[in-house]
This record gives sequence, structure tokens and C-alpha cells, in this order.
Amino acid sequence: MGMPRYQVAKRADHKPRPGEPAIVVRGLHKKFGEKEAVAGIDLKIAAGSLAGLVGPNGAGKTTSLSMMTGLLRPDSGQILVDGLDVWEDPRAVKAIIGVVPDEARLFDRLTGMEMLEYAARLRGLPVDEARSRAAQLVDVLDLTADAGRLVADYSTGMRKKATLGCALIHNPSVLFLDEPLEGVDPISADVIRRLLTRYVGSGSTVLFSSHVMELVEQVCDHVSIIDKGLIVASGTTDQVRGGKTLQQAFIDLVGPRSSDEEGLSWLGSSSS
Amino acid sequence: MARLLVQLKLRLLRNATRSSTAAKISFVLSTTVACLVAAGAFVVLALLRGTATAVDLTTVIFTVFAFGWLILPIFAFGLDGTLDPANLQLYPLRTRPLAVGLLAASASGAWPVANVIGLLGVTVGLASGALGILIAVIAVVLEVLFCITLARLVTTGMAGLLRSRRGQDLAAFLIIPIFALYEFFAQVVPKVAAEGKITAASFDGFDAWMRWLPPGMAAHAIQDASHGHAGTALLRLVLLAAVIVVLGWLWIRSLSRALVTADTTTQSTRARRGALPFGRYGQRGAVAARYWIYQRRDPTSLIYWALTAVIMAAVSASSIVGHQKHPGVLLASAIFGGAFVGYFHANAVGLSGPPFIVEAEALTSRKELRAYFSGQDIALCVIAVPLLTAISFALAAAVGRLEFGWLGTAVDLAALGAGLAMSNIFTAVLAYPMAKRAGSPLRQAATGYNAYGIGGVLGCLGTVAITAIPLLFAIELTPSAPASIRMPVLLACAAGYGIALAWAGVRIAAVAAEQRLPELCQVAMRSEV
Repeated sequence: MGMPRYQVAKRADHKPRPGEPAIVVRGLHKKFGEKEAVAGIDLKIAAGSLAGLVGPNGAGKTTSLSMMTGLLRPDSGQILVDGLDVWEDPRAVKAIIGVVPDEARLFDRLTGMEMLEYAARLRGLPVDEARSRAAQLVDVLDLTADAGRLVADYSTGMRKKATLGCALIHNPSVLFLDEPLEGVDPISADVIRRLLTRYVGSGSTVLFSSHVMELVEQVCDHVSIIDKGLIVASGTTDQVRGGKTLQQAFIDLVGPRSSDEEGLSWLGSSSS
Repeated sequence: MARLLVQLKLRLLRNATRSSTAAKISFVLSTTVACLVAAGAFVVLALLRGTATAVDLTTVIFTVFAFGWLILPIFAFGLDGTLDPANLQLYPLRTRPLAVGLLAASASGAWPVANVIGLLGVTVGLASGALGILIAVIAVVLEVLFCITLARLVTTGMAGLLRSRRGQDLAAFLIIPIFALYEFFAQVVPKVAAEGKITAASFDGFDAWMRWLPPGMAAHAIQDASHGHAGTALLRLVLLAAVIVVLGWLWIRSLSRALVTADTTTQSTRARRGALPFGRYGQRGAVAARYWIYQRRDPTSLIYWALTAVIMAAVSASSIVGHQKHPGVLLASAIFGGAFVGYFHANAVGLSGPPFIVEAEALTSRKELRAYFSGQDIALCVIAVPLLTAISFALAAAVGRLEFGWLGTAVDLAALGAGLAMSNIFTAVLAYPMAKRAGSPLRQAATGYNAYGIGGVLGCLGTVAITAIPLLFAIELTPSAPASIRMPVLLACAAGYGIALAWAGVRIAAVAAEQRLPELCQVAMRSEV
């Protein structure tokens, strides 16, 4: 592509200082057949940020996050996490990131507690430390009463919380979340929100995608809007809002997707 | 209401055939099989004319049809939208017209029509005279009505359970006896019949107790009417109709309850264990622990083990029921056992589905991937070694040559090593997404990937058979050696050989998986759990 490539860190323990970029995406492309899902994304998220990636359905959010987390090979482009190139040194990157996918991906025949312990032991934590962290996360995520139940019997909110626990158990420095609050009840959403805020407060970085503008507006200090595979706006939340609500700014940028509801004259009358 | 629900059923069928080519082919196949069953049942029933056991066999066939109606809707629960009352729960419908409509919907389609046509074979085989034929037609209609009402009662009563995870697990387990029955009829019955051990006379008096069941009442009513006992025939039909009315009443009650009853999916299972086992063995121990737990808790895993046992027994059927007592038959069972353990666990990525991402995020280096594959092998061996050994000895005992059990075990160990090696290699290089299809309790290869599954079976069987050749030679060349030396040496060599094969498979699979991890993740994400 001939585009400039960023300096890649050599050491896996390199950690950017607050304000330095924790996530850098440059010229990211991905095509599925003829459809260009991601058409050249450039993005820079500072360490210690809680950043939101918002966009309509099919805009390329999940595809972008999958490429950023080493789950989907990009056609071209560069992704750095804490200075490490995701596709040149995937092992080092995966050791420092946590991922919460759009759909909870958990082994549903394990109990919640077993699932968290499994995630910790896969990450190489000693068994005592794995069990201790799993117990603490179960407690913080308000899953203690259900820790002995099979994940198969968990509600959507409980699955999201367990997935978040699995993503955090190895104490990553960057956390990627795809629609973390989709289908989650307000109580569970509040638990997740508080945990993310606390996590970012320690200097770690979060990038999450969401449809819920109010949530992004409330918790994110950085917002990027993606549409048709391209970032159409990016900056601090105030910059992107430009004095409006984020919802209105989003609609202004992306444009309404349906015509006015003509032909529904019968709707609202009680006489069926 | 009846018309509306019949239209709904037909529209669902039509839309299903439009969804994909595979669905179209499936519909055509299903309809063809229904036509064949109709023609076959008609011919078989008609051919009973004049035989001494006509009524006994008709009773058996009527009972088999009723049993089919009882079992199949449990599988087809997700396939037929009209079977689940929850789909109609939100509409302001009165129970009685709804019940009539659902009954009419059940009677629509190729299979109910095939049932009626097939069973009408009794008008030729069992009935005689105008009254006999009239009673036969009524008896067939009542038999089919009984089957439908019974099936509706069972599916409505179990609707909450069938929607739940536990119910789906239960439905999945039903595949074991059905597969065993299939193998029994495909492997054992032809051999026994060929030796003259099953004849029509074997069914003589078979209906001594079956005649009191509703299908038996229908069959005997036809015989009574044909023999001039019109009163007895009518009494039997009235009794059958009364049974249908009672079932219908129970079904309507069950339907009323199902429309306002909470889903049982809210009930959950609490596991006994608090922590994962094998805590001291690092990542390999973690993967082995997860696999070990899944072998007990995941119905698919349990089904695979049961199917392996059935396949091994079926391969040795000729030795058990026939005169072929050569040890080669038992050794073939062992080869099939090892190959199917490998095949059933090949495509571990597709079988794990999206949760594989948790593993892929953590296990990325070649060393870690070796831990992943060998962890699986350890968990599978803990079950496979005793299971295959027990089956080999059970088969040897059934044949009456217990010493063959040792030889079978030796081949088991080598075949298991080769099977696990192929399982890991296929997982790394030929992973494919799995799909859940309504009506099927086990996940299958997603559309377009059937060849991968077939390739997996052939690849595992071929490789296991080839790699077992050195051991088979060793067995063939040492028959005169003292058993006290021959058996331990054979077992030790087979175990070492099996471990070496499995370890080679782990290493090859780890190298391949390291290069293809993002592609494996995509396969996992496209799989349905």
C-alpha cells in the first residue's frame, strides 16, 4: 500500500504512558468477496481511555474489532496494541489484551466458576492464583449465587458478565468489547459499567462498540463513528458531539436509514 | 381455525424448501421415503393374506407405526412450528378450536397420508367381505387418529421440556437406541434370518398382550369383522375411539395448561464440583480438565461414546450371532473403535464453536498448541482405553473366545493412538463449521461441508487400518508363542506404538494450527453450538 508504518515495540512488557497511543490502526482493509466490510480505517486511542466505536448495523464494527484482536486476518493495514503489531507478533499481543465478543462465547457445560478458572489457567496463571482471581471476579460481577450453575443456564446478562470476567482474569492492559451491554438488564449493565470505569482508572485502555448512544455519551471520553467501513468522525466525545447529543450527531453523520412511516394511518386507532 | 393451521403447516413446509438447496433435497428425499414407506407397508400388509400369523403381524406393524409417531415428533419438535403451543401462545385462541386445528395440521403432509395409504394394505391382507373392508377402513382411520392424538399429547406435555436445554439433551440421547435398532436390523436380523432363525412363525402368538393395546384392537377388529363377528369388531372400534377421546381430552387439558405455563428453561443445573481438576498440570491440565468435564456433561460426547460401542458391536455381529469366530472380526471391531473415537473428535474447533475463541486467545505458540491437543488426547484416553478394552473383552466373551480380548485390546491401543492423531490433524487442517438443524439432535457439518465429514470418516478409517498393519502382522506371526509372554509383549508394544502415533499427531497438528489460527477462529465463530 506504500503507507507509512508505525514503529513497532520490541518488548512485550512495553506499556505506553497515559496519553500515548495504546491502540493504533492504520489503513485497515477487509473485503468479503465483493463487499468491502472495512474500507481503510485509521484510528488512534490513547492509553487510559475508555473509547467507544459506534455505527449502524453492518458498518464494520465487529469486523474491525475482530482484526484488531487477531481473530480475523486483514487484507491490508497495520494494527498496534501497546506498540506491538497484532499480525506480526500475535502471541505477545494476545497476552496483553482481553476480548469480549458480541455474542458470549463460553463453554456452556462448565459452571461460571469453572469457566473463569479455565480462562485463567489457559492464560498460564498458577492454579491457586487462577481460583483466587476467579472467586474475586465472581464476587465483583455479582455472580456468586450462580457460580455453581452451568453457563448453559445463564441469562444473557450473566453470560456477558462471565465473558467479561474471562477477558479480565489475566489483567490485560487493553480490553476490546463488542456490544458489551446488548441484551443486558440495567442492574448487570451497571455492574459492567462500574467495572470498566474502575479498570480504566488504573491506566488501562478500553475500546468498545455499541449501539447505545446514551451509554457511550455517559462513559466514553473518546468516540469514533464508523459507517460503511470508514471512520467518519473521531475525537473526544465533546468534539464528536459538537454541542448536540451524540445520538443527533450520529444521525447527522450517518443519515436516516428509513423513510417516514407513510401508509400507517391505521396505527394507533383502537378499532383494529 | 383448522383451515388456517393447515395452511400454516403447508406454508412452513413450502418456505423450508425455499430456504436452501439442501432443504429442497431433504424435502424431496423425505417425500420419496414417505412414498416408499406407504407402498412398502401396503405391500407387506397385503402379502399377509391367507397366512396364519396375519393378525399377529398386522398388530406388530400397527404398533410399530404408533411407536414411530410417539418418537419422531420429539426429534421434529423444532422442525414443525405447529407442534409447539408456545408459538401460538400470544394469540387470543380458544382451546377447543385450536386443538381441532392442530390435529388437522398434524394430519397434513406427506407422512400422515403415507401412513393411511400404507396401513390400508389391511383391506387386502386381513379384511374379507364388504363388512370386513368397511371396518378395515374405519380401523385404519382410527389407528392414524390414535397415533396423531398420542403424538400431540406427548409433544404438548413435553413442550416446555423439549424447548429447554435438558429436553434437547434428552431428545439427543434417543438417537442411541434408534441407532442401535438400525444396526440391529441392518446387521443382525439379516444374518439371523439367513440362518433360518427368524420366520413368520416366530410371530405366532406375538399379539397375546399387544392385542389389548389400541393398535392391536384396530387389527383384531378387522379380523373379527372378516370372520363375521360384527358385534365384537364394533365393540373393539368403540373401545379404540374411547381411548382416542380420552387422549384427546388429556391433550386439550395439557394444551390449556401449556398455553399459560412458564417455560422450564428457567430451571437450571448446579454442578457438584467447585474447581477444575488437574490443577498441577498447567495448560495441558486445564484443557484436559475441560475436556474431561465435557465428556460427562455434554450429551453429544456421551452419544459419541455410545455410538462407538454400538459400531464395534455391529462390526462383530457376524461373530456373535453367526458361525464366523475368527479373531480377525474382533480385530476389525477394534480398528473401527479407534477410528471412530478419532472421527467423532476430529474437528474439535467446529465442535467447540465460538467458545474456541477463549482458547485461541490464550494458546498461540506451538508449545501451547501442543498442550491443547495433548490435553484433549489425555481426557479422551481416560475414557477410551477402558471402554474399548471392556468392549473387546465383552465381544470376545460373546464369541466364546475370551483370549481374543487381549488381542483386541492390543489393536485398540494402537488404533486409538492413530485415531487421536488423525483427529488432531483433521482439527488443524480440515476444520469446518457445524450447524444445528431442526429435527436433528446432533450437530452436522454446515451446508457445503458434508464432504469434510465424509472425508474425516474415510481418512480416520483408512489411516487407522493402515497403521494397524504392523500390529496385525505381529499377531499373525506369533500364534505359537506362549500366551504369558506374547500377550504382555503385544500389549506393551501396541501401547508404545499408539502413544508414538498420537504424539506425532499432536506435533503435526500444532505446527499446522499455529499457521492457521485466525482461520480456525473464523470456523469456530461460524459454528453453531
